[in-house]
Amino acid sequence: MRGIFTPITKIRRQVFSEVAKFAFEHDIEGDDFGYFYESAYRIIPGEEPLYRDSVFKERAIIRERIRMAMGLPMRPTGTHQPLTEGMQDTADGKKRLDLPLVNVIPFACEKCPTDRIQVSDNCRKCLAHPCTAVCPVKAVSIGKNAAVIDQDKCIKCGRCITACPYHAILRFGRPCAEACGADAIDSDELGRAVINQEKCVACGLCIVTCPFAAISDKSEIFQVITAIRRGKRVAAIIAPSFVGQFGPLATPGKIVSGIRKLGLSHVIEVGWGADYGSMQEADEFIVHVPHDKKFLGTSCCPSWAMFARNVQPETSDCIALSHTPMVAAAKKVKELSPGTLVVFIGPCVAKKLEALEDEVRPYVDFVITYEELMGMFSAKEIELSDMEEDTLGTLASRDGRGYAVAGGVAEALVNSIKRRQPGREVPFMKADNLRDCHKMLRLAKAGKADGYLLEGMACPGGCVGGPGTLSLIPRAGSAVKAFAASSPYLSADDNPML
Amino acid sequence: MGKIVVEVCAGTHCTLMGSMDIIDAIASLPEIGHIEDGLNDIEVIPVPCRNHCKENMVGPIVYVEGEIIPQADQETVLAAIINKIRAQKV
Repeated sequence: MRGIFTPITKIRRQVFSEVAKFAFEHDIEGDDFGYFYESAYRIIPGEEPLYRDSVFKERAIIRERIRMAMGLPMRPTGTHQPLTEGMQDTADGKKRLDLPLVNVIPFACEKCPTDRIQVSDNCRKCLAHPCTAVCPVKAVSIGKNAAVIDQDKCIKCGRCITACPYHAILRFGRPCAEACGADAIDSDELGRAVINQEKCVACGLCIVTCPFAAISDKSEIFQVITAIRRGKRVAAIIAPSFVGQFGPLATPGKIVSGIRKLGLSHVIEVGWGADYGSMQEADEFIVHVPHDKKFLGTSCCPSWAMFARNVQPETSDCIALSHTPMVAAAKKVKELSPGTLVVFIGPCVAKKLEALEDEVRPYVDFVITYEELMGMFSAKEIELSDMEEDTLGTLASRDGRGYAVAGGVAEALVNSIKRRQPGREVPFMKADNLRDCHKMLRLAKAGKADGYLLEGMACPGGCVGGPGTLSLIPRAGSAVKAFAASSPYLSADDNPML
Repeated sequence: MGKIVVEVCAGTHCTLMGSMDIIDAIASLPEIGHIEDGLNDIEVIPVPCRNHCKENMVGPIVYVEGEIIPQADQETVLAAIINKIRAQKV
């Protein structure tokens, strides 16, 4: 439900604030997590249900959300387990977050029917009834009051939908499955949605799409705040899409100030890491494409990169090898200030998964989203509009900052390649959802993208359309572009900090 | 007909609870200008926190022509604006 604030968003954010508040205020040496037994009553007060058929079920769902916001696994529904189990290990820093990252809360799922074509009340049982004529498998017949579709025969081609003059025939699908470009939504034995973790690339779009708020990822809010409160030095690296995410009065400088007020030592632009990545990928393109790599796929979106390797292993060597901007920026922090912990702040759920990979884990200690960060500001009562203007610890070029909007990565790379080889033509294709990414990969496999640069992104509009964002996509896109234009450097090659 | 001034709290708590979405919803109102006139004369101003949230009012807080709407959402704010516009016409 993008762009419309619904109870789905509200519940998610209330849980983040609840966990952040606890993390900031509880006795750090203590072991009392009893606060969380009250949480469900604060979020769902009173005796009447607010959203569903039962107030008890609503609170039960909140409890599992609280656990996941603490980075912990859901509890089994059929056996007893205390709400607070495992919380002490997290507080002691023994745990980050438990996989799987994205989960359907089974009893919150309303078992939406899977893909089916059905006739609605709009049907007039008309004389022409073109729906029957166009059906290739004789699945549509005219019943007593309306057209009837035999679900056993229907092959879901959708021709009747187009033919009906009254728009009476509809495709009914699971919103989660429609949002999932990796086809990772299956059904369990009770007909509830379940995520096929083999296929899931953690783009997180099902989380913000499910109209029953049945899907959630896990969070490291508590872990970050605990590290700060234990006196660890924690630096923030913030993704280029951060501009405009925290309200119209929160300028980039005030956001930096607010983050530092939370107790973080530095705020570094991941756009700088993007500049680093542009240089590497430009070199990789020049050296390898098209001689030993038919094309070059960008590597910055972890969902796309994982998806491309999963669905088409035969072209996986054509996905760029360079580190993602997140890793490049985190490495730099660790190099300049050994021992400092690094938290990546971004729009992205998939980065949480990337950060747990063996090669990445040493550099990125925590990942949180803008939504989670806003929950932290709210818990700590930090008013961003009251903050002084502060400056980012590094500067990124216009092109590096532009990575956040679909098309921006390709533009940055084309600019860097042309700097190295003036006059070289760099044809490119781009896609900003996984279904289109899949089409692009198939074209590439068929040899229709030889010598091309392929920009893949899992989220519509690019990173500004990520599931962890607060701003509407077009508004965020313009804010990012304006901020990019304010950089003194045009492209990565101009950035003296590299 | 005068301008309708809508102030939307852009404080931290209100932003977390969806005030940016309310701003965008108001901005989309002129799209239905062919059905309801007066929608082009709405001025939306994001305002800093006025501390009502610390006095037990729940955010987001929106002020339509000075009238305070606590726990605002798209639905209540759009209805309040249209009511003001219609009242002005009478």
